[in-house]
Amino acid sequence: MQFDAGLTGDAAALARAHAGVLARLPATVHAFILVELQKWPALFPAEQRYQRALLDELSRRPGPELQAAGAGIARVEAEAGIGRIGSREPARFQDDAQARLRARRLLAPWREEVDRFFRTIDPAVEAQLFPADAPRRLIVQIYSREIAVQPDKVWSRFKDVGLRVPLDLQGIQGSAPFLRALLAASRPDAAGPGLLAAAAASSGLGPLDTWIVEAHEALHELWGRTPASGDAPAGLSYDRLRGYRDELMRALYQRIQSGVESPQAFAAYARSLKIAPGAEAMFPASDLLPAFVREVLLTGNGTLFVNNTFVEWAAVQALRRAQPRILLTRFGVRDKLKPFSSLLLFSQPRATDAIPLIEDPVGSFVDVEQLSYYIWLNAEKSAAYRSRTLYLFLAEGIDEMLAIRPDAPAGPASRLPPATLHDVCQTMAAWLGTTVPGAPGKVMSELT
Amino acid sequence: MTLLDSAAHLRRRDALRVLAACIADWWLPRGAFAQRAPKPRRPDRRVIVVTFGGGVRYEDTLAPQGWVNIPHLATELVPQGLVYPVARYEGLTGHFNSTGALVTGCRQDVDAYGSEAPVTPTIFELFRKAHDLPPEEAWVVATNKSFSLMGGSKLRAFGDPYSANVVLPKQLLIETIKSAVSTDAGPGVEDRQALAERMMTALDEGYEGFGWKVFESGRSMGADLKASLSKSLLDYFNDPTVPTSGDELTFFMTKEIMNRLAPSLLVVNFWDIDIAHYGAYSLYLEAIRRTDRLVHELWQHAQALPQYRDRTTLLVVPELGRDGDVVGNGFANHRSGDESCRRVWVVALGAGVPKGAGTERPIRTFDVAPTVARMLGFKMPECEGSPLSELAF
Repeated sequence: MQFDAGLTGDAAALARAHAGVLARLPATVHAFILVELQKWPALFPAEQRYQRALLDELSRRPGPELQAAGAGIARVEAEAGIGRIGSREPARFQDDAQARLRARRLLAPWREEVDRFFRTIDPAVEAQLFPADAPRRLIVQIYSREIAVQPDKVWSRFKDVGLRVPLDLQGIQGSAPFLRALLAASRPDAAGPGLLAAAAASSGLGPLDTWIVEAHEALHELWGRTPASGDAPAGLSYDRLRGYRDELMRALYQRIQSGVESPQAFAAYARSLKIAPGAEAMFPASDLLPAFVREVLLTGNGTLFVNNTFVEWAAVQALRRAQPRILLTRFGVRDKLKPFSSLLLFSQPRATDAIPLIEDPVGSFVDVEQLSYYIWLNAEKSAAYRSRTLYLFLAEGIDEMLAIRPDAPAGPASRLPPATLHDVCQTMAAWLGTTVPGAPGKVMSELT
Repeated sequence: MTLLDSAAHLRRRDALRVLAACIADWWLPRGAFAQRAPKPRRPDRRVIVVTFGGGVRYEDTLAPQGWVNIPHLATELVPQGLVYPVARYEGLTGHFNSTGALVTGCRQDVDAYGSEAPVTPTIFELFRKAHDLPPEEAWVVATNKSFSLMGGSKLRAFGDPYSANVVLPKQLLIETIKSAVSTDAGPGVEDRQALAERMMTALDEGYEGFGWKVFESGRSMGADLKASLSKSLLDYFNDPTVPTSGDELTFFMTKEIMNRLAPSLLVVNFWDIDIAHYGAYSLYLEAIRRTDRLVHELWQHAQALPQYRDRTTLLVVPELGRDGDVVGNGFANHRSGDESCRRVWVVALGAGVPKGAGTERPIRTFDVAPTVARMLGFKMPECEGSPLSELAF
């Protein structure tokens, strides 16, 4: 199949270098790769690395082996008459192919064959991208103090995973002191918390190597003011994005009012919106972030309306696409749904129409237990994180944390002595191969 | 005291009840009116199919760890009836197609958002055609607004003349409120009279625009009732303590239909559970508990009505499951096609159902339609399922 992808720059060079193998692939896989290459400028570096490694691996495979790997897809394609599709533009071809597969009830078999194909290829690609000595990663998930955490039930999804570590909070009350102690942020500082600054300095981390995703703003406030571009991690706050969210909702609602042909047409309209978040809405780690946020808000179920859903979905997408070395999430309390508010979500009644917001700290606890678990599950699906990530789960004001270290046996809290938040901070630093200079605390050897 | 005055004294929590009563009174044909239809050969048996709609996971409901979410089913209804804990839905895992499979006994592959009718005959059409019954005998009451075409197939020999009445109660309420608050220049609550007028205007518009399909027409609502309804709507919209549930409205409408018309065949689609798409697990569980309660109350209501007592079979079934945790985003979705979004269950109770029984025999949701057919005495020529043999017909 000959496609006209209109590629330029690095993407065009990559496609040229691998033109031979691309032509030998089943047409739907060929089109899929070209569509990804068309997005090249909008891809995160990790995504670009994957595409390069994938094409390298495909080119390395002997012809018969590659043919055997794709034989199942080719068979389904033939059955669906994919070869008779006239379009040469890859995205259009994909749409036409999907329509044919659906019409012939071959979508499910095709998906199975595609999964089978990538199960054959991906292990080698992942081995290339993430060798055994690849850098360690850190994911910290925090429940805000306002969530009604039930200490006897917290992190209940992790029954047989990780270590329960008792914490000595040393009388620390409130979110800000908790976070400052945990991350070695003695005061709001444009350079950010000591832990992240130390990790960045010792490992040469770039802005997209550290992500902060939160429902409210407490983590962002550790920087004092929005840091300059280049100094900042990728920071997303549901609260700080409020103006942008409102703008998106207004546009969507106007569309609803003017009439929508179908949910699909509505989704297409949403994708076409050119609204961008303001400069103050996020840490300006990269030009890629506005498009990332837009996609999270428009394609993630509930991300426009539920703060913790936004945190989870944005975190999962960041793990999948940007693959940061460090990810900090902080869940908060969501508001209760208003009467029939699920039906009026876009309507934005005037202030005088508004029903007072009521927080749901009990329901939020149930929600975040599930959502934090999903972030962990999704991270563990990725070779970037599996077997090389320390996961810490903390709840502000709760004197216990859950730590999941690769290959470490699960155990009860009593096995470890209480640790201070400073100890946890130095332990995270040690896991990342550094120390936080001038900060108190000692490393917990059980976790490093 | 006028209706308007009495409405003013209602507690806000009762607003929905008043609203539903008014709506029902407005459009439902009265029994006497319905009797103008040709004399039906009506079977003695009644069947109510209730979907635990929106999709629930087995682990969140009928599995032991899920019983806490379905206390009425687990401790009161299941002991009275027969449970099939191993049921499977085979087909596209969207709401319309999976519910379409329930009412046709066949796999459906039509537009997921309800712009197309099922491609094989529904139990409503077959039932009405076989017994020459009027439209009042078969109803779909649905919270899911895409179900307006669920009552009949697109087949020439069937379709409209034999379809069920399809009622989307929530849609009426939604459209009314949306219309009232939708424009920047529109009225706000500081101008309640104007808002009330707009609401009444909206309510005066055709049902079809709201997705309703009502065979009887020509009924109108009195001015007092309209004013009362508008005030109830205002109270409802501005009261954070009233239930947020569209299923409550569906439940109320179902009772009204049972009270006034006592149809032989009723499919009730609860759908609040689909709030799971917003990623809030607590709201999903809350919706499951609400559905559990409403199913129980519906059964109690049926037992309280002479037309239904001792002659009604209730079938409770989720139309599909939801994704397992290891797939995608777990409970939030149901499109992966994994086992978790196919594994469901069926609970049957009432007439012809052995009490306190259960069978591990695997069944399929395709079996529901032919079971209904056997109970109500009509044939299903095109059907992938088989009648549930454990039930007495």
